[in-house]
Amino acid sequence: MFASFRHSMTWLHTWAGLVLGYVLVVVFFFGTLSVFDREIDRWAIPQTRFAPQPMPSFDTMLRPVLERIRPEPADLAAARERAGGALPALTPVEWTAYTTHRDPVLLLYTEFALGKDPAEPDAVLYGHATIDPRDGRLLPGDPLKLGSEFFYPMHIGLHLTWHDVGYWIVGLSALAMLCALVSGVVIHRRLFREFFTFRPRKHVQRSTLDLHNLTGVAALPFHFFFALSGLTIFAGMYFPVSETLLKPQAQVAQAAEARARGLPARAAGVAAPLASVDAMVAEARRRWAARGMPGEVGMVQVEHVGDRDSVVAVYRAGSDRVALLGQAIHFEATTGRVLHEEPPATAVTGVNDFLTGLHLQQFHHWLLRWLYVAGGLAGCACIVTGFLFFVEKRKRQHARAGVGGARWADAMAVATVTGMLVATTAMLVANRLLPEALAGRNDWQQRAFWGAWLLAFVHAAWRSRPLRQAQPSPAWREQCIAVAALAWTAVALNAATTGDHLLRTLAQGYWPVAGVDLALLIAGACAAGVAARLRGRRRAPQLEGHHA
Amino acid sequence: MSRRAAIVSRVLAAVAGGWLFAWGFVVLCLALGRRAGLSWADAQTLAWLLVFGVYVTTACWSFCAARAARVWLVLVGGGLLMTGAGWGLMAAPT
Repeated sequence: MFASFRHSMTWLHTWAGLVLGYVLVVVFFFGTLSVFDREIDRWAIPQTRFAPQPMPSFDTMLRPVLERIRPEPADLAAARERAGGALPALTPVEWTAYTTHRDPVLLLYTEFALGKDPAEPDAVLYGHATIDPRDGRLLPGDPLKLGSEFFYPMHIGLHLTWHDVGYWIVGLSALAMLCALVSGVVIHRRLFREFFTFRPRKHVQRSTLDLHNLTGVAALPFHFFFALSGLTIFAGMYFPVSETLLKPQAQVAQAAEARARGLPARAAGVAAPLASVDAMVAEARRRWAARGMPGEVGMVQVEHVGDRDSVVAVYRAGSDRVALLGQAIHFEATTGRVLHEEPPATAVTGVNDFLTGLHLQQFHHWLLRWLYVAGGLAGCACIVTGFLFFVEKRKRQHARAGVGGARWADAMAVATVTGMLVATTAMLVANRLLPEALAGRNDWQQRAFWGAWLLAFVHAAWRSRPLRQAQPSPAWREQCIAVAALAWTAVALNAATTGDHLLRTLAQGYWPVAGVDLALLIAGACAAGVAARLRGRRRAPQLEGHHA
Repeated sequence: MSRRAAIVSRVLAAVAGGWLFAWGFVVLCLALGRRAGLSWADAQTLAWLLVFGVYVTTACWSFCAARAARVWLVLVGGGLLMTGAGWGLMAAPT
């Protein structure tokens, strides 16, 4: 089909990059925001602006809350519909408490069994609660955590939850990213020389390609490992062999391995009380310290709640290492006797834990966290300059031939790139403007996000007409102005509604909110600067024409 | 075959054919890992760590191979063959 190997790779790079690039740039941008998801949560939920807390007492604080958690109302209603009326009694089968060194509030989850077979996916319901660990009270109104409950799910699944289709689209894009990296290296044979080449004063097509190569190559290892580890994290969803084809073999093997570790594979079906979990946590900490790695508790999990064969697993927080959680110690829940202390990871698990931890970065290292942001933004710049190059290369030819290709590629680029910035900043503004007492406040913030994005799409399509004469679309400049205005408004509204203006947060050294405010100010300044430059360019189209 | 149909065929082969090939690779890798004495979790994780390298390679190859028919044959045939081989190894008593 193609004349040569390089031709085929150029085709793959161009078209996989263009078509899936629109998804990819969204994944990169919201992934970049997710690096500081907890800090965005603090900005968006002012009553949680206090210092991170260690895991509180399970026996006195967490257990009473866990016992009160009910399944999510929407899931419960759906389950009722599936069952055609009344449901059997809901029994909690698993309790989880999870925290990191950046969490002032604590998340608790309960898993409920509906039917007899807990392996059936439809037979499980989940409930959650967020508490203030200083007094154990529920967070009033269960406010949406914009960072960890909206931008992060956007990064991993685009909020397309129907049959997990969002995860598949993101996975396909990550695969396309890897293909684009491979084919990109093939196309750009003079990689090393191009890496040191940036000619910002040359014409647009040349300088966008220089910037595309620079950002692509400078962050190549970052892009490669993030696309790859993102895929391996969800490999179980893309290749569920142990749940389908090999399910019987998997169950036998896993039960045997659990027995070898001294852990019951399933509940006994006999009720029995839970011993003190605090004592188990203390014992886990003692054992970690004895192994030369004292640390905080990251996760406490109770499996088969209330059963004779219930197990409590205490996981160490991985704040001081790349691997996420680990060194779990499993206790018999009824007695507090240690059943199993996880040995050091095998080579395979170690590599996987490292890759996963590298991607999810829950470790304590602020400089590295900022480098992640730089890598993520370099990825965005690489994809966006790819769009621009695609359009610049074709727009004159398409305009002459009367074809809409370059026009719609450009309009899509505006709608995705500046559109997602408009949506994000509009959501932050809505977060500060909507009254606290408003019913469905969480939903309204999400409507602000999607509504703003939809407007950006319509605007980008409407303003794309000049591309027909190979002229730049004014939508880029206009949406940049909108981003600057919204970003600065969000900072002003935060100061006005919470009193935590930059002078105060900087003086107090309260970086979660100061950092988000500063980032918004800088993002706004960048958007305003781009708008100003585009204005200058619009004034001198003739000049550029002479050069071309 | 028109150029458009040829492109659709290559894209489908890269995505769907590649997925089937990768699925077969996971099954076979898991079975071989078990035969080599790895735990279920380790054998499965090993397959997951390797499979995306395989998938990317087959995806790129789907576009640069001379003949689309060969791409389809290798990806679908190889995928089914590896799935069968892995399943056979797994089902056989060890």
